[in-house]
Amino acid sequence: MYLTRMYLNPRRRQTLRMSKDPQVLHAAVESAFPPTENRGRILWRLDESASQTALLIVSRDIPSLEHLQEQAGWETERTWDSREYDPLLTRLHKGQRYRFRLTANPTHIVTGPDGTKRRKAHVSERYQAEWLQERAESIGVKWIDSSTEDESAAPLVTKRETLRFKRGQNHVTLARVTFEGGLEVIDADALRSVLVEGIGRGKAYGCGLMTLAPARSTG
Amino acid sequence: MSTLVLELSGPLQAWGDESRFVRRDTRMLPTKSGVVGLLAAALGRRRIDPIEDLAGLRFGVRQEQPGELVRDFQTAIDWRTGKAKPLSQRYYVGDAKFLAFIEGDSTLLEGLAGAIKSPVFPLYLGRRACPPGTRLVLGIRDGDIEDAIESEPWRASERYMRTQPRDAMLLYSRDAGPYDVSDEMVRDVPVSFDPRNREYAWRSVVHGWSRVTNPEGVPSDEHDVMQLLGGI
Repeated sequence: MYLTRMYLNPRRRQTLRMSKDPQVLHAAVESAFPPTENRGRILWRLDESASQTALLIVSRDIPSLEHLQEQAGWETERTWDSREYDPLLTRLHKGQRYRFRLTANPTHIVTGPDGTKRRKAHVSERYQAEWLQERAESIGVKWIDSSTEDESAAPLVTKRETLRFKRGQNHVTLARVTFEGGLEVIDADALRSVLVEGIGRGKAYGCGLMTLAPARSTG
Repeated sequence: MSTLVLELSGPLQAWGDESRFVRRDTRMLPTKSGVVGLLAAALGRRRIDPIEDLAGLRFGVRQEQPGELVRDFQTAIDWRTGKAKPLSQRYYVGDAKFLAFIEGDSTLLEGLAGAIKSPVFPLYLGRRACPPGTRLVLGIRDGDIEDAIESEPWRASERYMRTQPRDAMLLYSRDAGPYDVSDEMVRDVPVSFDPRNREYAWRSVVHGWSRVTNPEGVPSDEHDVMQLLGGI
């Protein structure tokens, strides 16, 4: 597995389009890989901060992003970098602490009065946070606050957005939520599969990719 | 080549490039026409006087402090007739700070700097209701506009600097050189300011970021995914 990070130029028109229309970025990410039969799940996420826009991709093969550089990158320098992901995955074991960031599409199933079931997005911050909290066990972690050692701390919702875009003739509405916080590994195998396979729905549209960073040192 | 550096800051600024009728827009960065107009006013040129020499100088701006968009909804009554004037919306950039760069021959720039220090007509930041809040001229630097944009120290207010990351990025926008790929076309090169025949031409601009260090800034809480994968 490989993790790729690419910096995009936030002032270019195509970058703006991509941050508003995940269908466009989905197509760009898909075309970064050769059309082989079985290329596994490709996860991606757009991290936008005040100073930079970064596209993260987790994939089985190394992507080639020249076309994206041409449309939305910086002119002069190559701004992406692919690293082997397996060393981190194999190093995971119970008791380790990390900081994490996850962009996901929290949904739930609503049963109507006539028994029909429909999948709907959680829209309020409270239910979005609960959605992730309930999944601690299936992700194989315990949520903690790594700076205060507070074991009951919930992950924070740091960004919420509702995207509306077209997919062919249909209009798609997608609730995208970014969570951040600390975690302690309980079940390394479960966490490993979440890091590689993603979590929740909307994986083609920049949801489900969770990344780890070193836990903040206390004091 | 030398570059004249001006500081454009004040409570309100307005830099319209395509406003018509009662809706007077502003761009979030100063326009070439606005700054060329300011130079022409300092030199004492009237609106019908030629300005090709000023419009031909290379121009760039850097955003020290972005400011915010301010909307002014205006109602007015003609006191002679008692009739209402058309409703008008005027937009301003509030509490912003920019540097403007003008590249040219050093003797010409010295003349311009002197004229701005003792202007013939009052100077304003894009619209007559927007006086400058500081002295405009910061000085004349050796080198071209690219050098000046990169080497000029950051001049935002301390309060604003403290809210920015340690490694801050300042947006700049300048005239494209012969080998640049332009990012945007802007119609703000004045051909004539004559009120009966105003005319503007297009210019291609390049946007970019200039990196400055900000020791007072907030520590960047960058979620660096590469840290666990070795290397930087």
